[in-house]
Amino acid sequence: MLRPDIGTPASYTFPKPRRITVGGGTVVAIDVPGQRLASLRLVHPYGGAVEPLDAMGVSSLTSEVLEDGPDGNSSLAPALERHGAEWVSRVNWDGFITGLDAPANRLGEAVRLFADAVRRPALTADDIVRRRDQLLERFWLEAASASTLAMRSLGGQLFTGRYATPLAGGPVKLAEVAPETVAAFHADSIASVAGTLVVVGDLSGVDLEDLGKTVFGDAAATPVREVAAPAPPPGELPRVLIVDRPGSVQSALVIAHRAPSRSQVDLPRAEGISEVLGGLFTSRLNMELRERLGYTYGAGSRFDLRRDSGVFFATTQVEADTTAHSITASLEQIAKLRSSGVTAEELASVRDSNTVGLPVSYSTARAMASALVDMVVHDLPDDYVDRHRAGYEALTEEKLNSAAQEYLHPEEAVVVVVGDAERLSGPLADIGAGPVEVRSPESLWS
Amino acid sequence: MTAPASTGQVASVNLWYGVGSRHEVPGRTGFAHLFEHLMFQGSGNVAKGEHFEEVERLGGDINASTSTDRTNYYETVPEHALDRVLWLEADRLETLRDGMTQEVLDNQRDVVKNERRQRYDNQPYGTALERILRLGYPEGHPYHHPTIGSMADLDDADLDYVKSFHKAHYGPDNCVLTVVSDLEPEDVLARVEKYFGHLPARDFVPEAPDASLPQPLGGPVRDAVTETVPAAGVFLGYRVAAYGEREFDVMHLASAVLGQGQGSRLYRSLVVDRPIAADDGGGAADILPFRYTDSLLLVNMLAREGVSGDVLEEAMREEIVKLAAGITEEELDRARAVLERDHLQSISSPSGLADSISSCTQLFGDPELAYTWPERWADITAEEVRAAAERLLVDDNLLVVRFDPDTAGADAAPAS
Repeated sequence: MLRPDIGTPASYTFPKPRRITVGGGTVVAIDVPGQRLASLRLVHPYGGAVEPLDAMGVSSLTSEVLEDGPDGNSSLAPALERHGAEWVSRVNWDGFITGLDAPANRLGEAVRLFADAVRRPALTADDIVRRRDQLLERFWLEAASASTLAMRSLGGQLFTGRYATPLAGGPVKLAEVAPETVAAFHADSIASVAGTLVVVGDLSGVDLEDLGKTVFGDAAATPVREVAAPAPPPGELPRVLIVDRPGSVQSALVIAHRAPSRSQVDLPRAEGISEVLGGLFTSRLNMELRERLGYTYGAGSRFDLRRDSGVFFATTQVEADTTAHSITASLEQIAKLRSSGVTAEELASVRDSNTVGLPVSYSTARAMASALVDMVVHDLPDDYVDRHRAGYEALTEEKLNSAAQEYLHPEEAVVVVVGDAERLSGPLADIGAGPVEVRSPESLWS
Repeated sequence: MTAPASTGQVASVNLWYGVGSRHEVPGRTGFAHLFEHLMFQGSGNVAKGEHFEEVERLGGDINASTSTDRTNYYETVPEHALDRVLWLEADRLETLRDGMTQEVLDNQRDVVKNERRQRYDNQPYGTALERILRLGYPEGHPYHHPTIGSMADLDDADLDYVKSFHKAHYGPDNCVLTVVSDLEPEDVLARVEKYFGHLPARDFVPEAPDASLPQPLGGPVRDAVTETVPAAGVFLGYRVAAYGEREFDVMHLASAVLGQGQGSRLYRSLVVDRPIAADDGGGAADILPFRYTDSLLLVNMLAREGVSGDVLEEAMREEIVKLAAGITEEELDRARAVLERDHLQSISSPSGLADSISSCTQLFGDPELAYTWPERWADITAEEVRAAAERLLVDDNLLVVRFDPDTAGADAAPAS
């Protein structure tokens, strides 16, 4: 049977959120009739990036300890569980985000518990120390996975200052965060700051004004945050860092370099070129390393763009003996993209996937809430998704090719390899990616 | 099957083929999963990689997975592309054998071997599932081996067998196709008829290997491993009823009381109160749902620094045994709420809903279960949970897989 034509896409517009100001805060809401599971997110502009250097990890630790609830001793989650609600709490470099996923018809009861948890937590010293010790141990439990260790090793290779230490404070700095520091951070940055409340789901029975009052109380309006780009560390570029993991049958690779901040980047061009290289299954890195060479289960690349700076990185995990060739093959793919540019097919693929695919991207309450959170964190307008789409629609081969020149810089890359140093040091010295340094994981954070 | 989506302009397509690793014979383990990879490598009218490329270009989501009992393939695309996706699926069902070459097989075998390295061999505790199944089901039993299979068997895969596997298992009579969208059901059915209607049923339906378990587990049975892991890890397993039986639902509630959520017993007692187990956020217990043999209730925790595997294991087993003394109504209510929330979460996206409908149709012949599953927990009583725990959560029915850190190396993890 003949391949059917793909029809004409219906025009898509991201739902216009309803915005209401309640006291010192703002509620941003999207009604999705029939979506019984509502997502609620409260955004505070205090992520890891603004932590002082003597309190690195305080926001992550505070985020954890909020789960102990107003009565302390891990009492919040069980209380929410009885309402069928799930507590959400996470910190990234630019935001402190708390929230709930809950059945829309039970949102009211759950939100009262939520507001108490965010505004009036017990924050007992015992709870804080217990959570801190758990986080510290979890750091190494998680870093026992090669890919996690590789990503956590990256910050110190690209930045000085806060970004040189992992988001949750790493295994050393976090240990120095005292219970009083957590209490002070919470009082100044969370309890007394209203924040912005995002709500998505079937809101037919939900009074947003009431919700805002419950969540914001008498907290003050959110202050504007200053940002400054951190400096790079000293050291020749490009270079290779091997983080020793004896006996590894695979190596985890990250090829990374610094990038401009989110607001400095022309996002459709930057993301577009990254997608050609490694954003899709059919992108160049995956097709080469996985589908042609069979070295890996998957390879990809993307930008991590923050308010004050950014990182571009390509990642994969490859069979140990193919490590050196995997690095040179990846660098060759980047060089080739820069020298020869994208194909018409690739342009079409990137443009189409980011325009006609929007109904797929936003087919859940969680995904819509996540887009709204992103808009709040980065001060983007309500019609941001539609503007972003227009940017993709306007992409051309020339625009993507210039983006390859502007945003991809393999000559400034640091290659982090987590694997068996004894097996890898020799081969990696000969690949022309700069000097090779070997470190043990324990020596990376002091 | 068709069902409405809660947001517009999308179509989720989900196919459940009734073939999984339980259909594999000794010497051919890992084959159902390797085969899943090959389904993306081109068919009679589709080039290698083109299936992925087409769906990604539409901004769609696409993937597949293999379990013991089934292989599912799924795409979520903008609604206007539904016909194209149905055609792609129909083409690989009808003509996959025409697109298959030795080169493609060799490449995907390497990819799968790297998937095995990434998920099992290069991960701390990565071989736990493999060890659990080996203890839980006897040699030769179709659930004795994990879906990923063994390196040796993957090496032995040959092109003729690939083709015969497709012929044996991939027919429309062995597939449930679900479309979640806001199109009218008649419209969807007409399109499916157009692309799939002419495909004949398999002319021969192979018999699945016998999955009966004549012998009880004969526990406690153990597998103790000393290797490079960051902390001692304890994995406990108990045979319980097959997925779909009432006893499965009862034990599902028991697993939630024990180890799902931060109100669960294991979290309260071993993470918060004592505290000797690493904080997993409240995810210590769950059930591996097997439709055609006994399922496995699994309980897993990692030890805190300075805590030995023996101490943690003993504490976990004590906590589990206590279930036989009874649970409170409050605990049961919380367990129901947690399982209901997870269920709601799983059907809150169009692709999740489509998968759930395919599952309930393929396994139980009842698509409505995708919506009504939580009702199965409504009339289960605290006494029923207690009695089942007393009968099943006993040493005779216990398997233990233990990982202890190798402290011989100079820079090994802290001693326990």
